[in-house]
Amino acid sequence: MIVVIDSLNRHEFPELLDEMFRLRARVFGGRLGWEVEVTDGREIDAFDALDPLYVIGLDEEGHVISCARALQTTGPHMLADVFSAILHGEPPLRSANLWESTRFCVDTERLTLGRGSVKGTVSHATCELMIGSLEYLRSCGITDIVTVIDPVMDRVLKRSENAPYGYVGETTPMGKVPAMAALLDTGEERVERVRAFAGIAGSVFADQVALGRLRLREEVLAAVRRMEGAPQAVADLVDYIDGQLRAATTDGEREAVRRLALGLSATGGVQAAWRATRQALAGAA
Amino acid sequence: MELIDLGATVHSEGVFEDFLHQICERFELEHAAYAGVNPVSQTIHGFVTYPDAWKRHYTEQGLDRLDPTLHCAARSIAPVDWSRLAGQPNFDRVFRDAGDFGIGRLGLTIPVRGPFGDIGMLSVSGNGRPEQWHKRVAEVISDLQSVAVHIHDTVMRSEDLSRLLRHPQLSKRELEILQWTAAGKTQHDIGEILSISHRTVEVHLKSSRDKLYALTTSQAVARAIALRLIYPI
Repeated sequence: MIVVIDSLNRHEFPELLDEMFRLRARVFGGRLGWEVEVTDGREIDAFDALDPLYVIGLDEEGHVISCARALQTTGPHMLADVFSAILHGEPPLRSANLWESTRFCVDTERLTLGRGSVKGTVSHATCELMIGSLEYLRSCGITDIVTVIDPVMDRVLKRSENAPYGYVGETTPMGKVPAMAALLDTGEERVERVRAFAGIAGSVFADQVALGRLRLREEVLAAVRRMEGAPQAVADLVDYIDGQLRAATTDGEREAVRRLALGLSATGGVQAAWRATRQALAGAA
Repeated sequence: MELIDLGATVHSEGVFEDFLHQICERFELEHAAYAGVNPVSQTIHGFVTYPDAWKRHYTEQGLDRLDPTLHCAARSIAPVDWSRLAGQPNFDRVFRDAGDFGIGRLGLTIPVRGPFGDIGMLSVSGNGRPEQWHKRVAEVISDLQSVAVHIHDTVMRSEDLSRLLRHPQLSKRELEILQWTAAGKTQHDIGEILSISHRTVEVHLKSSRDKLYALTTSQAVARAIALRLIYPI
């Protein structure tokens, strides 16, 4: 399931964005060994301050499993600045209908833990994110994408019926890994090919019901985070409440968790909240 | 109908308004408005096709300070359909008044970001049923993106200082493709000659057009020749 976050709705989804920055830190700072700055377990750079558009993939439990970031090529973007070595001093492409996609990644750790379902595979998550990105950008009037990727991602694109139609500049080492700038169109034919390859039919975007659940989670966790107490104790309580929300299967159960969380946050301190929770659990048992 | 080539025009009074009127006519829109901020010269530019009475009311009431189609869209990179702004503070305030002047709530603002921190917004509005509007937008949005960048770049370039900063910077590949185009080769031919896909040729031509402030490839070729970036053949 794909959620698109931009300057208009980012205030509604701080938890999702935070989870995305942590995923980027694990992938780019960890697994891929790119030269990125990771602070406090999060990879955030100067371009994130420019209100880019994020396309984020979630698994069935609501965990962030994939993401990509889009910027206009008419204004500041990575190829013009950070990745300019790929272009060997040549000015980058600049077009109203061309956006740059960067920081495309998938949570291979979580996905290869595997729960056996087709939907939980790396390939499915990658294709879903690609379909979401291509379709959303097309709806914005964007006909082409220039994307900075490594050769591994290039092979993934080719394997999933989504081969770049061209490249700009040359493959250039960026830190430990080579990077390249590939061109993709957002045409329907390409999307259809990827859909057929991955066996994905129907809308990949979160519907109103799913968005409503995500907003409820944001509201609940924000209330818990506002509580006073030792940071670790607050974090533990957030994890606990989040776990309860993920375990909830009906709207009634979700509403119960919401009432519990808001009730706890009204008690003020985390210590008191844990006491109340333990008492409630003891009462239930 | 050909749109005015703003890149070539000596910017006389009213040329940007004329361009907006042409946009409305070509894309079957009710109104169009452009607002742009140039941080280099600290100036604000605004051009609209709205009736004078609404312009007066808008200014007198200071609606520019409230208007979410300006303030929210300025931070977005994607086009903002006004239906997404319905929950914003001041949306009702601005659009209740707008309704009194016959301006509806169906609209779209396309933000443009330039290389020097400059920001522009092309807003267009329509009438009729929302479904029709959204269908219409889907058909023309990619052209609207293109004209939004065209008007933004040319408005920003209308100031002397910015014109100096905005000297077109084309890559070797873009110049090579423009040179072959000047020689009469098609995109397909050029792809064969350079051993690249015709779509790669096309995206470079699009980029060259935007960099040269041209709406068509022939305008871009003419301008590149005038700037001595390529040779006439």
